[in-house]
Amino acid sequence: MSFRKRNIGLSTGGDRTASVNASAGLQQATSPAAAAAAPESTPGVRPSPDDGRPTTSTGTPSLDNILAGHGGLPIGKTLLVEENGTTDFAGALLRYYAAEGVVQDHRVHVVGMPEQWGRSLPGLIGPADAVDDKQDKRKGERMKIAWRYERLGEFGAGIAGSRATSGDQSQPTADGSPDKRPAFCHAFDLTKRLTHPSITNLNYIPLTPSNEPLFTTIHKRLDAAIASSPPNTVHRIVIPSLLNPTIYPFESSQPDSVLPFLHSLRALLNTPGVRATAMITIPLSLFPRASGLVRWMELISDGVIELCPFPHSADALATSGAATSHEEPPQGMLKTHRLPVLHERGGGSDQNVGQDWAFTLSRRRFEIKPFSLPPAEGDKEGQDGAVSGNMPKKADLEF
Amino acid sequence: MPTQPPLPPLLAPYVSSLPPSSLIVLSTVLGAQGNWLTLRYLYAALNALSTSDAALSFGEGHNGKKQKVVLVSFLRGWEFWRAEAKRLGLDLARLTDKRQFAFVDGLSELFAGPRTTPTPTTPTTTNTTTTQTTPPSLAPSPRGGPVPQRTVLPNRSAPGPIPARGPQPARGPAVAAPAPLAPVAPSAPPAAPASREVGPVKRLHLSGKGPAALDRLEKDIAAVVGHLNGRATASAEEEDDSEVLLVLDQPDLLLAATGPGKEIGATEMTEWVMGLQQYVHATVMTLAADLPLIHNASAAGHQMPTPLETEHAAFAIGSAHRAHLVMQLRDLDTGAARDVSGVLRVSKGGAWGQSDNTDANGNWEEKEALYFVQRDGGVSVFRRGE
Amino acid sequence: MAPTNTSHRQTHNLLLISKLLSLRDTASPLALVLDSLEQPATPLIKEYIRRAKLSKVHITFVAFETLRPLEGVDAFVAARKKSPLEIIKAVNAAYPNVSTSGPSRRRLILIDAINPLLHARRTDAHFNVSSFLSSFLMPQGPPTVSKVEASLVVTFHQDVPSPPLPSPYTPSPLSMLTYLATTIIRLHSFSHILAQKAARDRSLVPPVFGLEEELDGVLLGRLDKPIGNESAQGVVLELEHRRKSGRGVLEWYILPPASRYPPQYAKEIVTLLDDHPLYRPPEEPDFGAGEEEPESTFELRLTDRQRRDREGVVLPYFDAQQGDGPGEGGRILYDMGEEDDFDEEEDEI
Repeated sequence: MSFRKRNIGLSTGGDRTASVNASAGLQQATSPAAAAAAPESTPGVRPSPDDGRPTTSTGTPSLDNILAGHGGLPIGKTLLVEENGTTDFAGALLRYYAAEGVVQDHRVHVVGMPEQWGRSLPGLIGPADAVDDKQDKRKGERMKIAWRYERLGEFGAGIAGSRATSGDQSQPTADGSPDKRPAFCHAFDLTKRLTHPSITNLNYIPLTPSNEPLFTTIHKRLDAAIASSPPNTVHRIVIPSLLNPTIYPFESSQPDSVLPFLHSLRALLNTPGVRATAMITIPLSLFPRASGLVRWMELISDGVIELCPFPHSADALATSGAATSHEEPPQGMLKTHRLPVLHERGGGSDQNVGQDWAFTLSRRRFEIKPFSLPPAEGDKEGQDGAVSGNMPKKADLEF
Repeated sequence: MPTQPPLPPLLAPYVSSLPPSSLIVLSTVLGAQGNWLTLRYLYAALNALSTSDAALSFGEGHNGKKQKVVLVSFLRGWEFWRAEAKRLGLDLARLTDKRQFAFVDGLSELFAGPRTTPTPTTPTTTNTTTTQTTPPSLAPSPRGGPVPQRTVLPNRSAPGPIPARGPQPARGPAVAAPAPLAPVAPSAPPAAPASREVGPVKRLHLSGKGPAALDRLEKDIAAVVGHLNGRATASAEEEDDSEVLLVLDQPDLLLAATGPGKEIGATEMTEWVMGLQQYVHATVMTLAADLPLIHNASAAGHQMPTPLETEHAAFAIGSAHRAHLVMQLRDLDTGAARDVSGVLRVSKGGAWGQSDNTDANGNWEEKEALYFVQRDGGVSVFRRGE
Repeated sequence: MAPTNTSHRQTHNLLLISKLLSLRDTASPLALVLDSLEQPATPLIKEYIRRAKLSKVHITFVAFETLRPLEGVDAFVAARKKSPLEIIKAVNAAYPNVSTSGPSRRRLILIDAINPLLHARRTDAHFNVSSFLSSFLMPQGPPTVSKVEASLVVTFHQDVPSPPLPSPYTPSPLSMLTYLATTIIRLHSFSHILAQKAARDRSLVPPVFGLEEELDGVLLGRLDKPIGNESAQGVVLELEHRRKSGRGVLEWYILPPASRYPPQYAKEIVTLLDDHPLYRPPEEPDFGAGEEEPESTFELRLTDRQRRDREGVVLPYFDAQQGDGPGEGGRILYDMGEEDDFDEEEDEI
């Protein structure tokens, strides 16, 4: 693995020496991995276990996990989330993504949404792994973590910098307890509202008509906002429901309008020194994948994920996909058409390639897991019978 | 899997020793990108002269001529190519210094133009780390001209010339800002007078409409080619000792993002590519050949094809007609697999056989093979069942 | 088809293609070559050039997508970035008008692909293909003393989609061209024709190749030897010719690859597709010329002895007609053999 080699530059980097280190990185090698990862201590950014490039969480642990082994969305990459039908699962993913950015004190830019959107971000529960592991202790945990993150919000990178991120070369912290390590990904509750000191920092970019083309304005404002923020800030660009005619004017769906914007966005994210990610959703019902325009949007994006919700959660469907009875039934299929970094290099060699995914959105999480076809409908009764009544009989028979 | 040779043996005849004035079209799809193959072309051209490659013994090729490469990338930045080439053992920054390689950046400023920082405190606030380290002499010109603030110095040891404009008056303000050229490191490349330096990273910017806009891009690229050829002017009709390979990475983006609204269509794009071909020995061009982009235009009766689809299909298919060789990448027909990345089909293009000279046509054989890109960047190409 | 017809076809149609390709008697002022990625026009264009060289015809090559002149071309006109009017001027200037003494009164104008012109933005709405092409054939210039017989060969890529029409009522460029052309040659790859014939002979769905496969990422399907036969090379020409009389001729030919014959070879190398041994294997029984009876794979004729034997056969109904009694007739008289399984319920004698 090329992991260790790439990270040589990283071990020297503390946050105090971040700028120095970065400059060294510039002179030595300006690879995004080395240069951007030098101030490694930023909360919410960790080196990818695959090749050491800095990644950030999407706010959804299981989405992080399917992103080609990087454990998150690599910095500088865009993720295009497409959704069929009229549901808004993609919107939930976006909210997690934005909320994660707020909690990690990243700078979140929201394009084309009013401020209410920011107020509807899901409430924080705690670090994602903590929620998974210690469900019973969740309450106490949350207190601790919330307290910790309030401080984080105040002191910014400095505090977090003294703590190491996850990874192999974590500097020993003062009280090496795992709880003290800054979490990479958090769990959120969709029914609650996020309250966080830095939520006011959300940068809303409205779609106001002006002399210039709409997308030029958006790009300029994004560019200006990123350029004027202090160095080392991690940015998240949230673009909900791109080209949706209820938000965007009709002419924005012209290829010579939207494609240059996406291209410039890609250029912006690829600018050395800029540490940003973007997540874009697009309604496929209005802009089908079979059209050339959408295909070009996909080609410009680094990652492409398609959500295909099941038509209705009617009983028959709802119960069918679940492997066991206490697992929640999947609400739709998720297809990965392109994964960041992996496909740019040529594709293949990922364990998750070719896997069918199903997703479930519950109050607490958006979960993506391998999809397995349920037993055929005809067998269902027999199977139910086997679970409920027939099993004891079987045991009797063995007697 | 064992480490692969940089050039898989099955691939070698197709990437090395390209016939003169040939066009190779590399068609890719969303799930099967061709960057690895593009890198193989770079490798075959650039590595051949340094090590002369006895190990691979890919044939007669080269004729002892030096190969140089100009890479024009519209979807990927310098960092990507530099890092990926490194995995192959190619140091593009060093090769840039030796004037064997030049990168033309069609990503950063193609549509947006140079980043205009709204706050006047440019060097400190803009771009974090890189600008801070920029020596004062390299600070952006006050006019906000095309000299980029972020000096993307691709060099490891010695930062080369900064991305300055070429001699051609590419854009209005560009001429007026004659690049504050102070060599950063003492070991800056000795060649070329500073005033006509074409930096390692030239940034393209599309302005205006129609063929005139494309002409400006052509001039910019031609300037880079001319610089590589050691000539100030880009009138490369005769080939002397060096052969320049031009690699165009997804120029179809230009077409998609401009389209009929900007008076750029398939014909204009084709003529643009033809214009570029005249400056170089051979051209490799990657294109998207996704189903919606190719077939929506021809499948009659389904729906009215959009102009984007029609123009793209006309450009892509027309380019295949003009190509000597078409390397087609696609996903595995049976769905994704863990040990196969995709299918490579090599076909002779429409222009194959135009010349009577047999070795000018190359000893190419059409074939279809599978390929697999490993995590470490190595690629194996194998026939089905091997 | 009657055998006389076949031989007639052979002689006449071979003569026709020979005349067309060699541009004799200005048989066809405008030939339209419809090619595709599966079978590019390059071999045919080279054959045109070869024959024109042999008969010393002046060749002008109008290049919309070719950079380097092909070998044997007298004048190379790069049409890149030129307006239709400029192209016409350049082409007309390319012909050495002054040399009236020269023997070459004929000229061949090859257009490597008309598609870019049809697509180009610079051609305005008033651009008309027919007037553009006819201006080559009938130069507008001063009525020169030496009238030049010009033949125009235009290649059109069938698989390149056409731009949207300026008006829904105008005919598409392709129908325009096919209407104007006196000769239309559609090109097919011989190996594909063979593969499709093989499938059709077995009542299978004929395979499609390349773009028609409609596979993601497939532009070209042509592989060198899909049926593993070295001799399956060549270009199949589907010729549609309109005579001056108005009568149309439709014929399929095959043009062998250029490596099969020397460049100076003067005899006709094109053959009918039906005469090709791979398309119609020679094992097939020859049609004997002059037979009156209809041909069939069955032998319907009888020898005299067979005829006599047939007349001697006594059939069951002869018995019945003898009238042994009411109800007796029509019975099948049958003796049980050893091997017969007698069933009382069903069989009765």
